[in-house]
Amino acid sequence: MGIQEQYRSEAAALLSSGEVKLVIGFGAGSTADRRRPLFARTPEEAQKFVLDAACIANLSTYLLAEGLLSDGKKVGVFLKPDGIRSVNILISEAQLKPEQVVILGYAIENGKDVAALEGRNISDFSIGEKIRNLTPPPHVIEAAEKIEAMSAEERFEYWKEEFSKCIKCYACRQVCPMCYCRRCIVDVNQPQWVSTSSHTLGNFEWNLVRAFHLAGRCASCGACDRACPVNIPLRLVNYRMGKEVRSAFDYVAGENSDQKPVLASFKQDDPETFIL
Amino acid sequence: MTRILLRNKLDDCIAAWRSAGFSVLAPVKRHEMSSFGEVQKSSDMALDLVLTERTIKDQFFPQTEPLIKYKIGKHQIDSETMTPPEQKRVFFGVRPCDASGLAIDDPLFGWDYKDDYWFRRRDNSVIVTIACAQADDFCMCTSVKLSPDSAKGADVLLRPLLEGSGWQIEVLSERGKALLEIVSSLLLEGNGHTFPLPQVAEKFDVEKVMEWLADPASFESQFWKDIALRCVGCGSCTFLCPTCHCFDIQDEGDTYQGIRRKNWDSCSFANFTMHTSGHNPRNTQSTRWRQRIMHKFNYYQGKFGVNSCTGCGRCTRQCPVDMGITETLQAITNLPR
Ligand code: SF4
Ligand code: SF4
Ligand code: SF4
Ligand code: SF4
Repeated sequence: MGIQEQYRSEAAALLSSGEVKLVIGFGAGSTADRRRPLFARTPEEAQKFVLDAACIANLSTYLLAEGLLSDGKKVGVFLKPDGIRSVNILISEAQLKPEQVVILGYAIENGKDVAALEGRNISDFSIGEKIRNLTPPPHVIEAAEKIEAMSAEERFEYWKEEFSKCIKCYACRQVCPMCYCRRCIVDVNQPQWVSTSSHTLGNFEWNLVRAFHLAGRCASCGACDRACPVNIPLRLVNYRMGKEVRSAFDYVAGENSDQKPVLASFKQDDPETFIL
Repeated sequence: MTRILLRNKLDDCIAAWRSAGFSVLAPVKRHEMSSFGEVQKSSDMALDLVLTERTIKDQFFPQTEPLIKYKIGKHQIDSETMTPPEQKRVFFGVRPCDASGLAIDDPLFGWDYKDDYWFRRRDNSVIVTIACAQADDFCMCTSVKLSPDSAKGADVLLRPLLEGSGWQIEVLSERGKALLEIVSSLLLEGNGHTFPLPQVAEKFDVEKVMEWLADPASFESQFWKDIALRCVGCGSCTFLCPTCHCFDIQDEGDTYQGIRRKNWDSCSFANFTMHTSGHNPRNTQSTRWRQRIMHKFNYYQGKFGVNSCTGCGRCTRQCPVDMGITETLQAITNLPR
């Protein structure tokens, strides 16, 4: 039995036993190479799940959908390591309880094969070492190094060009599992803290606010980068912020669910006298 | 006898239009994004794209637009109205769906109040549409009763010649005629073999959709909750849509001076309908999604006698969760009746 069939029947079993109220997985998409999120509430619906190398989205973003977990009932979710990583971060930030999610874990190998990951509870997955050793694809590192080699003025020009494309659709935020604020600071409008205008300055404000709020919290799932309809290389922002946090605090987000959020915790023997 | 514009005369045409005071805008690909941008020569153009990622709408209704500059003094308020430039523009290589989008939005912007910002630009623009030679999986103009050679919203319609050497010309308006007069010495007389139009299959039955949406019982249907489940509520589908036209007015500045701006807004956002009290009549994504579909295929039809959709497919093409309107309209078409 292939992994797709195996996971279909596991999802169906979880639903029919009543262990979970819902399983979030993938279904066929609008074209042959697309997959879309699929929500199954019955064992029959679970038969529609598709699991193959095209299932790249990070479905953990739905776990904090308003009202989903408020009744205390569990949900099942198909996650690959980056999704497991984001669940670790969500738990460490007290947004989820470990017992609320049943994970149907899988990994995509060589871009084509799908392998099952052992375990069902978040504590079953030890992804820490893997995450520490994770390197982005060569083209990302290359692009990042090119930007790092620029002068401050050149770098500013580069990002000005890129951010001027932004249309403030907030797709990057909406697909991001870490952007769970019920009211994002850019939506707080009494008063309007961050301008809603999508001119270059407003776009800078928005993209920098988001970059800072994701520092030390990003799961590197790439969802924002893929979602951006105007192709701003958000991966480069995420990569750089991750690198910054790692070199300053030796911290890699989402290694496990017991981590203390790096920018939201402090040590009494902290050598810094000033806490932001 | 029809006339032909040869590809190797395009640079001369651009030069002639520019010296007649026009800016020439065409599909361009810059910084990994395709949109309409100013061009100096034909090699700047990306005419082979099925469709630009950004729509031509942006050039008439920009994402942010300054309206008024104001200064509040002790005894008076000074204000200065900021009007859009009256630059004459040629849009070359517009797709039929995008040109239709302009025509669909005209009655909206001219309805109870004539929006000067829209019409100044419209009145100074000439739209040269090129009929499509290719379509992709998401194109659905035929489903909304348009076609790959629809002339709606265009001043000139060009049909690509089979051998790729140029385009056969159809003049559709006085404005188009005047534009071609400028380059008449560069055009050939003749009839060429034009490229066959791509087959764009009908994806849904728009009549059935409209009928179901018009039924008051459909408003509270469970259908909306089910279909909108995976929508994450971004503004991507509205902002890339050639007909979505909602905006918000924002004052930017401090207490005493600032700029009043008109900024794109989206019915996908929770803030769109949020009342000052905190009450939100559209407090779930399904009610917002229902609004988007209802507005396009019911309310707009009721008000202006046309659907607010060109079938360009962008909302589905770039949706981060593979949603967009296509699936919803197909599902409505297939509902048991
Ligand atoms: S910022 Fe982007 S890459 Fe990081 S977790 Fe959010 S969606 Fe994923
Ligand atoms: S997805 Fe891209 S265009 Fe949309 S708000 Fe984010 S950065 Fe801007
Ligand atoms: S349909 Fe897609 S693009 Fe539109 S709001 Fe929903 S998630 Fe965003
Ligand atoms: S609703 Fe979708 S298909 Fe219709 S015009 Fe807008 S983006 Fe294009």
